Amino acid sequence: MSDLTAMMWKEIAEFLGNRRFFLTFSVAVLAMGILPALTFANHQIPGMSSPLMAMIRSMYALFAAVVVVAQTAPDLVLHERVGHTLDYLLTTRLSDRAIFAAKVLVASMVGYCAAMVATGVQLVASGLLGGGGFHWLFLVPPIGRVVVFGFAAALSLYVAVIGTFVALRVGEQRAAYMLTLLSIGLLLVPFLAGWLHIQPTMYWMVRAALVFGAFTVALGLFGLSVFRRHMLVLYLQE
Amino acid sequence: MNSHAIECEGLSRSFGTRPAVSDLTFSVPRGSVFGFLGPNGAGKTTTVRMMVGMLKPSAGTIRVLGLDPISQGESVRSHCGVMLDNVGLYDRLSAEKNLEFAARVARINVTERRQLVESALSRVDLWDRRQDRVSGFSKGMRQKLGLARALIGDPEMLILDEPTAGLDPSNIVMVRDLLISLAQESGRSIFLCTHLLAEAQRICDRVGIIQRGHLVAIGDPNSLNSQGLPTVRLTLSGGDPDQVGALSLPRGAQVSPLGGREWRAVIADPADIESIVAALVGAQIGVRAVIPEQVSLEEEYLRLVGGEENE
Repeated sequence: MSDLTAMMWKEIAEFLGNRRFFLTFSVAVLAMGILPALTFANHQIPGMSSPLMAMIRSMYALFAAVVVVAQTAPDLVLHERVGHTLDYLLTTRLSDRAIFAAKVLVASMVGYCAAMVATGVQLVASGLLGGGGFHWLFLVPPIGRVVVFGFAAALSLYVAVIGTFVALRVGEQRAAYMLTLLSIGLLLVPFLAGWLHIQPTMYWMVRAALVFGAFTVALGLFGLSVFRRHMLVLYLQE
Repeated sequence: MNSHAIECEGLSRSFGTRPAVSDLTFSVPRGSVFGFLGPNGAGKTTTVRMMVGMLKPSAGTIRVLGLDPISQGESVRSHCGVMLDNVGLYDRLSAEKNLEFAARVARINVTERRQLVESALSRVDLWDRRQDRVSGFSKGMRQKLGLARALIGDPEMLILDEPTAGLDPSNIVMVRDLLISLAQESGRSIFLCTHLLAEAQRICDRVGIIQRGHLVAIGDPNSLNSQGLPTVRLTLSGGDPDQVGALSLPRGAQVSPLGGREWRAVIADPADIESIVAALVGAQIGVRAVIPEQVSLEEEYLRLVGGEENE
């Protein structure tokens, strides 16, 4: 546990000194906070009562999480690889699990924070643009809360696990980012192929959130079990 | 407790079909400073990586502090302070935060952590720069900070890969003095890869020279060529120098040419020099001078590795 907290402390300390991260984070949360407010400014009242509208609006928070985590998770590995700090990590007593878990947890926490801040920005922007003062908008229907709080957590974890594994095999930041985004696109395949249909009902959304959450936790545990420290450095994989 | 800090037996590692380290066999006694010398690409860093369990040997065995770095990697790494050739500092963090992370990894409690960080930074003259981000540090400052980080946790053994690379002469002296004092502290073992032969000769109890993955010499840095035996330099005049090789010498004595009329004699017993001089005179070869000598490590290193250093 102390290994995990030491690694997480380091990752967070590095974030605080990373201007590029703050820029990405700010742009993502502002864009995903203001854009839906602008789009739905004239449909505020009907939107509040429609589960589908609430779901669509709340999904912007998910976009913020995806953009931030897809950038952050690979960067947590690639930045260390470029700076040769991964070699240092491999010479320490840190366990394989602590290294992997810290990177995944910090990236997913950052994504969840992005989703929450984007939601806050969206509420404020909608209140200002709608002219009806501040209120809970899409968070009033339970379905909106499921999407924002449940799916945001599961999706952040999913992207963090995938992004970390992508960075273990890919040496370049942009390629890792694109591959991570592609992995999120894979989630849409069952819907695009017609195997599954999104149903904007509370029952379906809660079930979907639970299934997806269980799947991402299993994916994370699988990642934890197959991760080995030598995977961090490409030349050690030769 | 095992009396050796490091024991290698037939240690080999290949990358694909290319051997990086071949059949290394040597040991480093606990509490000693061992210098590992060799040209770039000779296999020093690969050996270091096998010592800390980063790389698995293709063949042979290695034990560090009596432990197997592969199956007991965590134990090995928790007893070793390591500084690799690429120091690997966190550029976005300050010098102090870099060391604080190392202290957290070493599971040092909060109060002790602060003292250790201060002491390590002061030791390498970086206390005044503790709040500065490492991204603004010069190569020399990074080397010193890397060395300070390796000291965190008071490790039983230090494994240092080129700790003086990029340092100016005054900092080299500072690091050298630091290494000497570290070696004297509580019997700590130091495995030092370096290019600075004069420093190695001054600091190390034993040195090994590696070339193309093979250990080509090992021993006391002051008498590496002669395996600790007395050596004299002979300046000859007259006669045929080719006859020297054909002389009947005392048991264990060897004479080798140095160029011109200079020869080196390695003798088993100091009294043998009289027999050698008598043999030379008997063969009508004049002896102008007989000078006891101490061959520098640099001279011996260059003889063994030739011109590979600059390749």
